[in-house]
Amino acid sequence: MQDARSVRAYMKSGQPYVWLTAGAIAASIIITVALLLLTMARGVAHFWPADLVLASYQAPHAQAQPVLAEFRSSEEVTSARLKNAGLPVDEAQDFYERILLKIGNRDLGGVDFRYVISDWLVDRSTPADAVVWERLEWGNLHGFLQSVQFDGRTIEGDEAWERYRQAQKRASALRHKIERIEKKEIGRINYQMEQLRLSERRLEIDGLSRADVPEPYLALDARRQELDQSYALLSEERARLYRALGRDSLIARTASGQEVSMPLSKLVTGYRPNDMNLLDKVLHWFGKLWEFVSEDPREANTEGGIFPAIFGTVMMVLLMSVFVTPFGILAALYLREYAKQGAVTRAIRIAVNNLAGVPSIVYGMFGLGFFVYFLGGNLDRLFYPEAGPAPVFGTPGILWSSLTLALLTLPVVIVATEEGLARIPRSVREASLALGATKAETLWRVVLPMASPAMMTGLILAIARAAGEVAPLMLVGVVKLAPSLALDGNAPFLHLDRKFMHLGFHIYDVGFQSPNVEAARPLVYATSFLLVLVIILLNMTAISIRNRLRERYRALEH
Amino acid sequence: MNNSGYQTHISSQFNAELEDVRQRVLTMGGLVEQQLLDGMRALIELDVGLARSVIRNDDKVDFLEVTIDEECSRILARRQPTASDLRLVYAVIKTITDLERIGDESHKIAQMAKRLAREEKLEKSLREINSLSRLVAQMVRDVLDAFARMDAGAALEVVRRDQGIDDEYEALVRQCITYMMEEPRTISRVMNLIWCIRALERIGDHAKNIGEYIIYFVKGKDVRHIPIDEVEREVLGRNPDQSAE
Amino acid sequence: MNKNQSAADPKTMTHPQDTTQNSRAIKIETMQRERLSTRIEDEKIALEVDNLNLFYSAKQALKGINLQIPENKVTAFIGPSGCGKSTLLRCFNRMNDLIEDCRVDGQIRLGDKNIFDRDVDVALLRRRVGMVFQKPNPFPKSIYENVAYGLRLAGGPQKRRDLDETVEWALKGAALWDEVKDRLDDSALGLSGGQQQRLIIARAIAVHPEVILLDEPCSALDPISTLKVEELINELKRDYTIVMVTHNMQQAARVSDYTAFMYVGDLVEYGNTDKIFTSPSKKQTEDYITGRYG
Repeated sequence: MQDARSVRAYMKSGQPYVWLTAGAIAASIIITVALLLLTMARGVAHFWPADLVLASYQAPHAQAQPVLAEFRSSEEVTSARLKNAGLPVDEAQDFYERILLKIGNRDLGGVDFRYVISDWLVDRSTPADAVVWERLEWGNLHGFLQSVQFDGRTIEGDEAWERYRQAQKRASALRHKIERIEKKEIGRINYQMEQLRLSERRLEIDGLSRADVPEPYLALDARRQELDQSYALLSEERARLYRALGRDSLIARTASGQEVSMPLSKLVTGYRPNDMNLLDKVLHWFGKLWEFVSEDPREANTEGGIFPAIFGTVMMVLLMSVFVTPFGILAALYLREYAKQGAVTRAIRIAVNNLAGVPSIVYGMFGLGFFVYFLGGNLDRLFYPEAGPAPVFGTPGILWSSLTLALLTLPVVIVATEEGLARIPRSVREASLALGATKAETLWRVVLPMASPAMMTGLILAIARAAGEVAPLMLVGVVKLAPSLALDGNAPFLHLDRKFMHLGFHIYDVGFQSPNVEAARPLVYATSFLLVLVIILLNMTAISIRNRLRERYRALEH
Repeated sequence: MNNSGYQTHISSQFNAELEDVRQRVLTMGGLVEQQLLDGMRALIELDVGLARSVIRNDDKVDFLEVTIDEECSRILARRQPTASDLRLVYAVIKTITDLERIGDESHKIAQMAKRLAREEKLEKSLREINSLSRLVAQMVRDVLDAFARMDAGAALEVVRRDQGIDDEYEALVRQCITYMMEEPRTISRVMNLIWCIRALERIGDHAKNIGEYIIYFVKGKDVRHIPIDEVEREVLGRNPDQSAE
Repeated sequence: MNKNQSAADPKTMTHPQDTTQNSRAIKIETMQRERLSTRIEDEKIALEVDNLNLFYSAKQALKGINLQIPENKVTAFIGPSGCGKSTLLRCFNRMNDLIEDCRVDGQIRLGDKNIFDRDVDVALLRRRVGMVFQKPNPFPKSIYENVAYGLRLAGGPQKRRDLDETVEWALKGAALWDEVKDRLDDSALGLSGGQQQRLIIARAIAVHPEVILLDEPCSALDPISTLKVEELINELKRDYTIVMVTHNMQQAARVSDYTAFMYVGDLVEYGNTDKIFTSPSKKQTEDYITGRYG
C-alpha cells in the first residue's frame, strides 16, 4: 500500500518522464556518435602505415613458411571451428587467436589476405628494411629491395634505397605528366573530334551534302586536320615520356626468397613502415587520406581514391536543389496563397504528403520510364539526330538523376514552404496591403523573404534525403566507374547527359560487388564516413544560410 | 520656475490646457482686483459712473468663472489628472469660487457707493475704510501674485495677514458703532458703510482661502481650519517631495 | 449666461495697467467661443459614411451606419469588444475585402467618390487612406526600408535622394528621427514597441495619405509610449484626418475631437468628445463610459 502510493507519487512527480525523454535523446546521441566512430576507426585507420612483420608460419606437421605481412585484425576462435576448417589444432586448448594478415604479393601467391593461427606464427621480427610497394596492378608488394636499375646502372646495397626513392619520384612525376596529357589534352582533342563528327553528321542530316555545299565541310576538315596535328604532337610527346618512364626498374626479394623484377612505371610508391618514426607515419597517413579523397579509383575501385564519387554526389545534390527549390516554392505559393482553400486543395495536399511516402525505387522506375526514355528519347530525336543511334539524353545521366531526386524530395519542400508561409503573421501582410501594395507585391517583397528560412529548412531536409538515396539512382544515372566528370574544361563545361559516380553507390559496389572483399572492407567504411561527412557538410552549409536568414527575418513575436 | 512643474507633460495638449486654465484664473484675478479697486474708488470718491461700470463688469467675472469651471470639468473628464495636476485643477476650481465671491463683494461695494453718492459725505470713516481697502487690495494682489508663481511662502504671508484685516475690521466696526451712538441720524448711512467694511473683511477671508489653496497645491496638504502656527510648520518645514521648487 | 455679449465687448474691462493680461483674455474668450461652437455641421467633411451595412456571411456586423468624419480632426470609435468599431474602420480602406464572405452595402464617400465603386483602384485607395495596426508590425527590414516600402511600390519616388528626403521627412513627422537617424540601416525589429509603432506611423505618412486609420494603436504599448503616440496623433491632425479605434475610453477622451460610441453594430451616439464625456445624451453611452455597462 505504502509502496504503491510512493510509486504513484513518483510517477506523478514527472521524474520518470524526464528520465524517459533524457534516455531517448542519450540513446540517439550515442548511436550517432558510435556510427561516426565506427566508420572513422574502421575506415580512416586503414590508411595508417602498419608494421611489416617477418615471421615463420609453423603449422604442426607442416613445413615452415616465411611470411612478411601486415596484421589486420585478430579474433578468438573456438578450436572446434578451426578443426572443422581442417586445421590440425589441439582440442585441449579451447580457443585460438586467429590473425588476419595482409601478405600482399597477389601476383605471386594468388591471395593477398590470409588467416593464420597466432600460436603458430613464430620468430616474429620487424626488419627495418622491409618494404611495401604500392603498385598500379596486383595490389601491394611486400619484400626487400635487392637492387635498382638506375639509368642503366645496377645499384645494390645501402645506396639502392636512396636511388630507388629518387627514381620513384621521377617516375611518379612522369606518370602524372602522361596522365595529364592522356586525360586532359588528348581527352579534349577526342571530345572536339567527336563534336566535329557530330557537326558533319548534322550537316548530312540537314540535307547539305558535301557535294552541294562544300564550305562548312571544308571548315570542318581544316579544323580536323589541325586537331590531328596537335594529336600527333601529343602522342609523340607521350611516347617520349613513356620511354623515359620505362628507364628504371628494381629487383625485389620476397620473404620466401623469390626475386621479382618490377619496372618503376608500374609502382605508385614504396615505403619502409618499420623504419618510419611517428612523424613520418602521420605524414604518410595524411598523404594517403588526401590521395583517397582526391584521386581516381584503381583496380575495380578497391585502390586509389574516390574523388569522382564525391564530386558526383555533391554535384547531383546541388543540381537537385536547383531543380527542387523553385518548383517546390512555386507549388507551395499557389497552394497556400492563391488557390481557393477547399476540398481540392485539401486533396492535393494529401496527395503531396503521400508522395513523400512512396518508396524511392518507384521514383527510379518513373525516372527511367518518363525522364530517360520518354523525355530523353524525344529530346534526342528532336535535337541530337546526328548522335544516333547512340543516345545523348536518352540514357541515364546526371540530369535525370537530379530530376528524379528533385521529384522525390518535392513533397518535403512543398510542405516546409507551406508551413513557413502559414506562419507569417497576418499583420505583416496587412501592413503591406494597407500601404497600397498589391497581393503580388506583398508576396514578393515581404512574404517570400520572411518565409525563406522555412524554404531553407525544406531544402535541408531534401538534401539530407537526396544525398543518401542510392536505389533510384541505379536506374537513372549512377555507374560503377564514370570515364569523365560532368563538369570539365571542354565547352559547354557542364555535361548534364553524362553518367556519374556516387558515394552511396560506391559503397554498395565496393562492399558487395568487389572481387577482393578483404581489401575493400576498410574502403567501405572510409567511404561511408566520407558520405556522412559530405551530407553533414551540405547540411551545415544550408543550415548556416538558414540561420542567417532567420536572424534577419526573426519572427515578430512580442 | 515654479511654473515648470506642470509644463512637462508628454502631451503638449495637456500642457496647453493647464496653462490656459492658469492664464484664465490670472485674467479673472486681474479683473476681480480691478473691480475691487474701482469699487473702492467709486465708494470713496462717490463716483456713480465708475460704480456702474463695476456693476456691469461683474457679468464678466461670472462668465469667467463659468468658462473656467467648464474648462476644469473638461480637463477632469478628458485627462483624468492625478497628483499635482489634480491638485492644480482642484485648487483652480476652489480659487475661482472665491474670486467670484470677491467680485460679488466688489459689486456690493459699488452698489453701496451708488447709494451713498446720493447722500452726504462721511469724510472721517471713509478715510479709515480707504486704508482697510488698500490693505485688502494689497492682499488680493499678493495672493494672485503667489498664485501666478505658485509660491507657498507668499501664500502663507497672505494667510497670516488675514488676522490683521480681522482686527482692523473689528476696530472699524467699533468706531462706526460709536459714531452711530453719537449721531443717531447717520445710522442708515453708517450701516451702509458697515456693509462695505464687512465686504472688505469677507474679501480678506476669500484671499486667505485662495492662499490656502495655493499651499494645498504646492504642499499637497489641506491647511484649512488649522491654527496658523501649524500652517507655518507645514509650509516652512521643507519637505523635499512636496516642494514645488 | 451672456458670454457672447461680454466677449463681444471686451474693451470695457480694459485698464491701463492690465492691457496685456486683458488682451490675452480676449483671445481666450474668442477661443472659448470657437470651441463651444465646434459642431460636425460646421466642419469640413473628409469621409462620409452613408447607410453602411456589413455582413459576415449571414451575420450583420454593421447596421445602417451614418457618420461624417471631419477633416483634420481626430475621430475616435469606442465601444465594447465586438461592437463593430474595427470593422467600420477597416471599411475605410477596404481591408475587409481580404475577408471571405464579407459583404458590404451602402456608401463611404472619400471626397465625392464612393470607395466601393467598381472602378476604384483599391491599392490607390489604400495609399490615400493609410492604416496603423494594433500591434506594431514592422517588416523585417531596416528602419529605412520600412519607411521607404510604400514609396518603392509603383508610383513613388525611386531616386535614392528623393527617397532619403521623404524617409527623413516621414520619420521627423512621426517624431522618431532624432532617435533613429544614426541607425537607419539597423533592423526595425530592434526598436522598442513604442518606437516601432511610431515607425509604422512614419511608414504610413511617407506615402502622403489624406486619412490615417489607427486601429487600437497603443494597445500593445506601455503607458509612456502610449502618451508619446497620443502626442504624435495630436501633432498629426494638423495635416491629416485621423480616425482611430480604441478600447481605452480615456484615450479617446484624451486625443479625440469627436467620439462615436458603437454597440453591437449600431452607432449609438456620435458627437464632440467634450460632450460625449461630460454629458452624453444616450443612456447606453453614459453607462459605457462610466463603467456601468454589462
